[in-house]
Amino acid sequence: MAEHHWGWLIAIYLFLGGMGAGSFLVAALVELTGERYKHNYCPTTLIGAGVSGPLIAIGTVLLIFDLGAGLREPWRILYMFTNFSSVMTWGIWILTLFLPICFLYGLLELMHVYPGILAWFRKWLRFLPEDLPYRRIKQVVCSVGSVLALGTAAYTGVLLSVVEAVPFWNTLVLPALFVVSAVSTGMGLTIDLAATLAVPTVQRRFEYLPIIHIVFIGLEALLLGLLLVLALNEGGAAAESARLILTGPGSVLFWVIVGGFGLLYPLLVHAYALARHAHGYLSGILSGVGIVIAGLFVRYLIVAAAVPVAV
Amino acid sequence: MSDAIQGQAGEPDPSTTDGGSGGEVSRRAFLKASVVGGLLVAVGSSRVPLSQALAEATADYAMIIDLNKCVGCRACELACQQRNNLPEGKSYIRILPKGSEEDRWFLPVQCQHCQDAPCEDVCPTGATYHDKSGVVLINDKTCVGCKYCAVACPYDARTFDEQTGLVDKCWLCLDWVLGGGLPACVQACVPGARIFGRRDDPEIAALLESGRVKPLHPEFGTEPGVLHYIFPGD
Repeated sequence: MAEHHWGWLIAIYLFLGGMGAGSFLVAALVELTGERYKHNYCPTTLIGAGVSGPLIAIGTVLLIFDLGAGLREPWRILYMFTNFSSVMTWGIWILTLFLPICFLYGLLELMHVYPGILAWFRKWLRFLPEDLPYRRIKQVVCSVGSVLALGTAAYTGVLLSVVEAVPFWNTLVLPALFVVSAVSTGMGLTIDLAATLAVPTVQRRFEYLPIIHIVFIGLEALLLGLLLVLALNEGGAAAESARLILTGPGSVLFWVIVGGFGLLYPLLVHAYALARHAHGYLSGILSGVGIVIAGLFVRYLIVAAAVPVAV
Repeated sequence: MSDAIQGQAGEPDPSTTDGGSGGEVSRRAFLKASVVGGLLVAVGSSRVPLSQALAEATADYAMIIDLNKCVGCRACELACQQRNNLPEGKSYIRILPKGSEEDRWFLPVQCQHCQDAPCEDVCPTGATYHDKSGVVLINDKTCVGCKYCAVACPYDARTFDEQTGLVDKCWLCLDWVLGGGLPACVQACVPGARIFGRRDDPEIAALLESGRVKPLHPEFGTEPGVLHYIFPGD
């Protein structure tokens, strides 16, 4: 692949940022619609709220690893808050605001599910009340957090799409794809994987779930296809990027892992679930793994296929 | 008034380019000049020949590379590497072979010191900046090494320094230039294809106005400020 200055670390950073934001969005939606309270136990909100913070934190650490001076002189990172003409500066601000909210939501959800945590906190923090109005606090946290989650997911795409020097990235299709993929990977992680693992019959309980899955996977495939077709049509460096992915060194990753395992297979699993009102335990988990892996490799392929304009 | 217009047109007077705070130019005159200058640009942009636009560019310096003379010997590339203590095989200059095998010519590419520089826009720390003379520089005290600028440069003119963890690029050997000397690549150029000087230098000004001198890839829209080329046949 071309790997024009940026490679795996940035791809994983964009992926984790997207999946963290997507997990938060899915959990927040289940919380805000009240769906969470229709069951004794809701693994989707527990995992979605719990992992979004750590995922984004790990992504941010990877970004710092990629910064040449990030580990040597870490105080330089503070300068990254200063130039508002840079999309990266917007992203740093959005992440800085979003990250504490993710961890707060995770903590609230954990405390809500396991009341023992609050009792443990009260050993030291005696001013804490015996019970907290979790649902009301979470409503505020989820509402504010959802806006920032959308901002985070969009930022990961806009970061690349403003680069005119790489024509393949320089389209609004890219942020759209990254936002859809963020939600899709969030669903793959919190519903297909987490919920299926915790409640093997979860798909039987929600008839509309497969439809949402199908819509997002379909939209992701559509946007990815659009990105590549537009690039091929544009010719030049953009077409060269598309060819790297479609027929070049990225083709096996693209067709087998992303196309086959990450898009087609989950699509079939959920189409089957839609028709039969259920799908297997293993196919649910595998579909989740596929969606998540596709999210990672889509970003890697796009980052690595950066062919700069010809000089 | 005339001073202010000159300032607009690109003869940077230190008192006007430093934020326009003081000196003999009043705020009113400066505003008037801005309006007049803006109108001139707006009305005349379609009629002003490219060479004249280049002569009026805000950068103080011009480096003109005559591609009819360049033989691709890579002396400039090597001189740049040695001058900047770069590791083997690294330089701020790349020599790209162009044309066909029978009709070969060479294109040396380095930082074009764009006036509308994407590297400056995307830099999250603001480490990339234009100095008073219009040269694009990197502040090595604030660069964090994110490489966003290197990704955003359409001329691919930026390199990453593994030693320092920072991004670097051609800085026109500004220490030598300010001391009255020439950049290393200009000194090293064997066929004398590189011409460097102040824009108000008669020889440079005449060349810029001759119509032979053009920017590299003006369609990128970044308005190269210092580097200009005489293309083969021109």
